[in-house]
Amino acid sequence: MQSRWDIGEPEKPTINKDTEQLKSELLTLNMGPQHPATHGVLRIEIWTDSEIVAHAIPHLGYLHRCMEKHAENLDYRGVIPFVDRLDYLAAMNMEWTYVAAVEKMLGTEVPRRGELIRIMTAELQRIASHLMAFGTYALDLGAFSPFLYAFEEREKILRLFEEVSGARLLYNYIWIGGVWNDWTDEQLARVSAFCDTMEEEAKKYNELVSMNKIFVQRTANVGVFTLQDCFDYGATGPVLRGSGMKWDLRKNAPYSLYSEFDFDVPVGEAELGQVGDCWNRYYVRMKEVIQSIKIIRQVLEKLEPGSVMGKVPKVIKLPKGEVYMRHECPRGELGIHLVSEGDSKQPYRLKVKSPCFTHTSMLPRIAPGQMIADFVASVGSIDIVLGEVDR
Amino acid sequence: MSTAVEQNSSFKNYFSGLFNGISTTLKGMWITFRYVWAVKPVSIEYPEVREVLPERARMRLFNDSQNCISCTQCAMACPVDCIYIASEKLPEGAEIKKTSNGQAIRLKLTQFTIDTALCCYCGLCTTVCPTECLTHSHDYEFSQYTIDAMKYDYLAPDVKAWRDRIVKA
Repeated sequence: MQSRWDIGEPEKPTINKDTEQLKSELLTLNMGPQHPATHGVLRIEIWTDSEIVAHAIPHLGYLHRCMEKHAENLDYRGVIPFVDRLDYLAAMNMEWTYVAAVEKMLGTEVPRRGELIRIMTAELQRIASHLMAFGTYALDLGAFSPFLYAFEEREKILRLFEEVSGARLLYNYIWIGGVWNDWTDEQLARVSAFCDTMEEEAKKYNELVSMNKIFVQRTANVGVFTLQDCFDYGATGPVLRGSGMKWDLRKNAPYSLYSEFDFDVPVGEAELGQVGDCWNRYYVRMKEVIQSIKIIRQVLEKLEPGSVMGKVPKVIKLPKGEVYMRHECPRGELGIHLVSEGDSKQPYRLKVKSPCFTHTSMLPRIAPGQMIADFVASVGSIDIVLGEVDR
Repeated sequence: MSTAVEQNSSFKNYFSGLFNGISTTLKGMWITFRYVWAVKPVSIEYPEVREVLPERARMRLFNDSQNCISCTQCAMACPVDCIYIASEKLPEGAEIKKTSNGQAIRLKLTQFTIDTALCCYCGLCTTVCPTECLTHSHDYEFSQYTIDAMKYDYLAPDVKAWRDRIVKA
């Protein structure tokens, strides 16, 4: 069995002692690229020993769109629709990271209202993204109705975004210098009402799924990433926090106006299971939803009428230099490395550091020794979006 | 793994686990069961009932060619290059028409085609249009059998007929 990447002999499964004596031949099984549990088009080559996974190799590239190379032939505004398509479930956060990188080089001042609206949209997007993660994770584990409940709430956010930007997923809303359109008072009132219902809904979800015995049995103590694993692979976001590390860029290296806000960084505390398992990673997301609601409420208090768009030259030309911007996105730290040659309308190089790519590379670490059904739970719990992995 | 097995094997834990399993499942079932009467349906029956799109919804592009001054700014702003524009000089002595917002049309538009299959609906072209003739319409049902049929020539008479439907003068 030759793999494209030679990563040595697969580790022997450790759970079942009987299989070691049997010397059974490993069976190669393709999970994906159209597997419903892979959240996109990820193909995982699994070497199985009966029901136990001996080795897993993720194969990438089914959604590769050559976005980084494309960006070198586009003007700085034209890159934004492409950045949207990185993580199509959290497009606002993607846009914001790229735009912040350009603004840092350009030295643009964003009006206070524009910056607050960016925080609000980013947090709303985080809730929408976590709802999607919650719904599809329950779907992976065989529960269908939580998916529909999650989409009911997500729909409210998407409707608000559609009204304010014009699109439901790929917004092109956060522009260099500010945001495209302002929110009306009526829309802000709906955001406030949404926060109230979402808090109630989150309690319902916890009752329905998080504390459900069947769900806990499927996820607790499954797919454990130790903190050392996370450091070795460079995990970020809910995966790192689920393993017990209190690290959030919004708190540890505050960008934008996040230093003004009062919120907690939820970490995996092993209410059930153990720190770093699927259940704790999942539960960190549910706790983050509550924190995002807290931030949105504070934004709504702070919002004052004003302009949402700063002064930006009509043709954007960046000075020679480079910048690395990282933001806390729903799935982890997204990094944008932008290099400019100076006196050019196009970026010289745009490199995207994707959190999902890092997390996908961690799959072979936890796969050996797991049952196939547990492996599905592990893939779901790291919540990858393949648009961001392949770019 | 071994500790989890030891915990489960005790007599007390077995029954508490059983009780926990039944009670949490019933709790979840109760939440789902409430949807039978307590929650109104949120889905709509699409072809018969249609949602009213928001004002800013970005659907198929429409160019009102009577107001176009062939400035090609939209084609340059387009990140996927899906707008094809060609124009020629007006013959000498020809009458210079004006757009609805008072700009002079100094070029004769000979082609304005948008490949809708290539378009990514980002809205960048509509924001740079000086005469606001290029807009997003609210038309979202335009699937075709061939990919060539997705190219819309906005100078063709049948497409021009949309103007009365879409542009409110």
